[in-house]
Amino acid sequence: MIPAAFEYHAPKTLDEALRLVERHGDEAKLLAGGHSLLPLMKLRLAAPRYVIDIGHLRGMSYIREENGRIAIGALTTHSEIENSELLATKCPLLCQTASQIGDVQVRNRGTIGGSLAHADPGADYPAAILALDAELIAANTSGTRTIAARDFFVDMLTTQLHPGEILTQIRVAPRTELSGAAYEKLHQPASGFAIVGVAANILLGEGGKSIERAAIGITGLAAKAFRAEAVERALTGKTISDKLIEDASRGATEGVEPLSDLHASGEYRREMARVFTRRAISRAIEAARGGPSRGRA
Amino acid sequence: MTTTFIGKPLKRKEDPRLIQGISHYVDDFNLAGMHYAAFLRSPYAHAKIRSVDLSKARRASGVVLALSGADVDGAIQPVPCAAQIPDMKSGARPVLARDRVLFVGEAVAVVVATDRYSARDALDLIEVDYEPLTPVVNPEKAIAKGAAPLHPGQKDNIAFKWELEGGDLKAAFKSADKIIKQRIVNQRLIPVPIETRGVLADYQPGEGQLTVWSATQIPHLLRTQIASMLNFPETQVHVVAPEVGGGFGSKLNVYPEEALVAYLAIQLGKPVKWTESRRENFQATIHGRDQIDDFEVAVKKDGTILGLRCHVIADLGAYYQLLTPLIPTLTGLMMTGCYKIPAARMEITGVFTNKMATDAYRGAGRPEATYLIERVMDIVAAELKKDPVEIRRKNFPQPKDFPYATPTGLIYDSGDYQKALDLALKVADYKKLRQDQARLRKQGRYMGIGVSTYVEICGMGPSSAMPAGGWESATVRVEPTGRVAVMTGSSPHGQGQETSFAQMGADILGIDPSQIQVVHGDTSIVPYGIGTFGSRATAVGGTAVYKSLQKVKDKLARIAAHILEAKPERMVFADGKIFAKESPKKSVAFGQAVSAAYVAKTLPADMEPGLEATTFFEPANFTYPFGTHICVVEIDAETGDVKIVRYVAVDDCGNVINPLLVEGQVQGGIVQSVGQAIFEEAVYDEQGQLITGELMDYALPRASDMCWIETERTVTPTPVNPLGVKGVGEAGTIGATPALAGAVADALAPFGIHHVDMPFKREKMWQLMHKNGRRVQ
Amino acid sequence: MKLAGSISLPASPDEVWLLLTDSSRLAKLLPGCERLEPDGPDRFKAAVKFGIAAITGKYAGSLEFAEKKPPHSLVLKMDGKGLPGFVQGQGRIELTPTAAGTELTYSGEAQVGGVIASVGQRMLDAAARKIVQQFFDSAKAELASLKAPAAAPGARAKSARKANR
Repeated sequence: MIPAAFEYHAPKTLDEALRLVERHGDEAKLLAGGHSLLPLMKLRLAAPRYVIDIGHLRGMSYIREENGRIAIGALTTHSEIENSELLATKCPLLCQTASQIGDVQVRNRGTIGGSLAHADPGADYPAAILALDAELIAANTSGTRTIAARDFFVDMLTTQLHPGEILTQIRVAPRTELSGAAYEKLHQPASGFAIVGVAANILLGEGGKSIERAAIGITGLAAKAFRAEAVERALTGKTISDKLIEDASRGATEGVEPLSDLHASGEYRREMARVFTRRAISRAIEAARGGPSRGRA
Repeated sequence: MTTTFIGKPLKRKEDPRLIQGISHYVDDFNLAGMHYAAFLRSPYAHAKIRSVDLSKARRASGVVLALSGADVDGAIQPVPCAAQIPDMKSGARPVLARDRVLFVGEAVAVVVATDRYSARDALDLIEVDYEPLTPVVNPEKAIAKGAAPLHPGQKDNIAFKWELEGGDLKAAFKSADKIIKQRIVNQRLIPVPIETRGVLADYQPGEGQLTVWSATQIPHLLRTQIASMLNFPETQVHVVAPEVGGGFGSKLNVYPEEALVAYLAIQLGKPVKWTESRRENFQATIHGRDQIDDFEVAVKKDGTILGLRCHVIADLGAYYQLLTPLIPTLTGLMMTGCYKIPAARMEITGVFTNKMATDAYRGAGRPEATYLIERVMDIVAAELKKDPVEIRRKNFPQPKDFPYATPTGLIYDSGDYQKALDLALKVADYKKLRQDQARLRKQGRYMGIGVSTYVEICGMGPSSAMPAGGWESATVRVEPTGRVAVMTGSSPHGQGQETSFAQMGADILGIDPSQIQVVHGDTSIVPYGIGTFGSRATAVGGTAVYKSLQKVKDKLARIAAHILEAKPERMVFADGKIFAKESPKKSVAFGQAVSAAYVAKTLPADMEPGLEATTFFEPANFTYPFGTHICVVEIDAETGDVKIVRYVAVDDCGNVINPLLVEGQVQGGIVQSVGQAIFEEAVYDEQGQLITGELMDYALPRASDMCWIETERTVTPTPVNPLGVKGVGEAGTIGATPALAGAVADALAPFGIHHVDMPFKREKMWQLMHKNGRRVQ
Repeated sequence: MKLAGSISLPASPDEVWLLLTDSSRLAKLLPGCERLEPDGPDRFKAAVKFGIAAITGKYAGSLEFAEKKPPHSLVLKMDGKGLPGFVQGQGRIELTPTAAGTELTYSGEAQVGGVIASVGQRMLDAAARKIVQQFFDSAKAELASLKAPAAAPGARAKSARKANR
């Protein structure tokens, strides 16, 4: 468990970090919490020539309100998100999701930016940020750009980020009246990754009897996290009933090639995607109606 | 003796240093000029080695030595196997593979460098030309006709056949109302101690002195074996087992790396250290279990068991480790469990496969036995439509039947199985549980109740039944200042004997436990001992301590009596004083009597000075702890997730020295059983690749997977040792697995299922409930 | 690990056959192929760099054509060794003429040993599928560009089915 030799850089400012990634391109890897990169390096499955440790950058770890949105610095740890009072009231889905990542040690080290940029097919955040229609801010030496969550995930371990870019911020809209969200996950018992993780974000119609808008993000099922549009379509504008939710959840796997591994066959993953989609939607509706799921899981 | 400390839940003396992280495991030692070893391991399960080219590695910066199997051939003897079975074939493991590799992870070459990084980098420069051969992974295929033998020159892959029979089996099966057959599988497990293995060796050429620090459970046996493997004088070998971070049997062994690192230190005249990575630990440290059991049981309609026969395929892996062939034979000895079964027969076929060797893992053969007989009882109950508790009770021996002789040739020392069962039923409120179950089933919820009544074999011992001696040693030395050193030949590595032996010493000598230091694990300090395994440290090692304490006490009594002009047999030891029972006011301070032994001016005429006694205790028999575990699970029909709802454990390990330590052992063992039952499985693919190669894919149980464990005890002392203690280190893994399996099978009863093989992973449960299973009740 | 699937290609079986059996053209299609040199009839030495994101490994090995039945079917055998372990595989490719060109079906098996096998279980299947898909996507794009140099690259390969290992 000893990595191959690499050159280590620990920039103090974002500008310095951006210059380094620009110079070294895809020979460089960014080190944030280190929970994905370091094990790969120790197994020598990854051997980047340059490791740029952005863990020392100042001002990249925060959760704050900006122009009516919640902005989260990319270096914010999972436990900071889990325990944020601001998020507990304005975006409880992120608290709930963070609380289900790995274990306490992982949550104390791992960062939201690191997790999203790594794009592990079993990571938890992607489901939530998809369901929240989050915006991801990426910077390079010439400026910043905004990437919609729906466009961010390209494939297994692959995102829209270009070499030379650093993910700096995640922005989400605060929850509104009549909206509710929930993250439901079947964890892989060894690693804690999601075999299937479903984030549902539901806006109810006036009176709370029907669904005005639904956003469903699913992780773990396929090579990349995705929005379950068939489920969303089946729910939108409909009157809530157990049958509606049950039937809509069947669409969770539409057009999806499920992953299959030692821990869950494709067939089982498919079935679990339906079960957990149903559970997430039910809990999200409950939360929207002011039920017990409003806060943390 | 007044029992001020024995029986009390004293906190562990070991814990403050462990919790603060200020004590030393092997990897924490750093010697001046220390070098580092790294091993190149085979990626193939089965291959010929055409050549090993070390030239590039040898030239690499920092590298001082690189060796392949050819370089050490003849210089280091193969890994020893202490277990002998008549007509068993050879399966000795070379310390480095020579012409072929037989499992993934087998060491092919070793590199020593001035730092860890250079040693690891150099591994990537070694070129090995392998000729891949077809691996033999499945043990049944391994012994099928036409399967190529792993070991050249052998005709097949059957390592040995072993059988045991007692009672009139023919008559039993002839008079049976029903014969029930079933195959059950005890899957392969990885022991996963928190501390992986590690070895540090230092050689002083002037003195000819070799010191080896190793994460081992058996420092003395290791010393003897290193001396033998290297043909090195044993008097010049010093082995230290410092803090050892768990073993579970996986460090009750002798490994190639231990001999090789010592050899390298001698060759280089430099200290050499090697610390095992987790992946190496998974691939190249022994595995546990791995048995396929086909049983047939003869029963009467009323549930009386008449006879049991079983054929076991024991997957041994590619080579023998220290005790590999012995483990399944323990399953044979304990196959009738805590029941009066008049006739029994076991045949074991030990099989070589292209995998890591199996050997002792917490319980070592006995969890397999208990799992077998308890599954038998549950399956019989299900087939006869009787309550599993009733079937068990019907077949128990009565308390008056002890000592009880089994058809497998054992003599159970003492027992009251009814009492433990009754207490467990009461604590769990079994009747109510059954009512709850009926109610939930009507709601479409799947709750299951599992009952396991177990007996285990502990206190290993006696030497006649052990491959390498079954006694234990202890020296008690009272130092001139009055501090007491208890030097035990057992080598505790988490069991807490530093506390429990101090409690014994405190009560016997009438002093505070803080005055007593328990010393272990250092072959230069403690007398030759056997080690800690087989739930023996207290029953055998503790008895040696007890006897040495008594000897020292007797001498102190004579000294004190001499000073007090009283009779030695009237002396009482309490509160740091020694006095005659009839005149407690006239006393000698403990320290004063000790001092007298060393100053030697006021000793009785015929007495030697000094205050030290050594005992080598040989037990007359094993001990047989027992108990009842009751487990309640609920299975989520949508996901197949098995949730443990309640767990009740009643264990009887005889007298108890420290109930906190017993509680810890029981709880830890139960959780480890939950691992086997629900999560753990070492999976090799068809090519012999260990695909559960890291903790990413090999799931261990976590605190959040458990409910609170309700523990109770009954106390049935053993007559085998004067302490009346039986041992409890493995009770959890022995008693719990069948309770968990019984609960899961019971939960699935509405689907017509009587047995499911472990592990009860979610997808497997889900498949059973959704596909094969039609709800039938 | 088993891999199987099919893809429709915009060229005749003869054209597809020529593409797959011409080592210089094949080298460009194989993901990560750094070198492909003849090493006897229907046999090539190969140097390949496989990888996904930061996880990369270099393999040296061989590629071989067997059971060639032009332009209907052939068996492709590959094996490689590298620091992360070894990869061995073989697959049968069948070409069936269709109105649009050729329907290519493939089925094969791959074995992986070493570090990847012991720690990569979670992603191995998906990674293998991705590599196979990249290969056929490249083949499709190459054939399409021959037909209509200005046309956009073809759609992705039809989903690859596979059984658990």
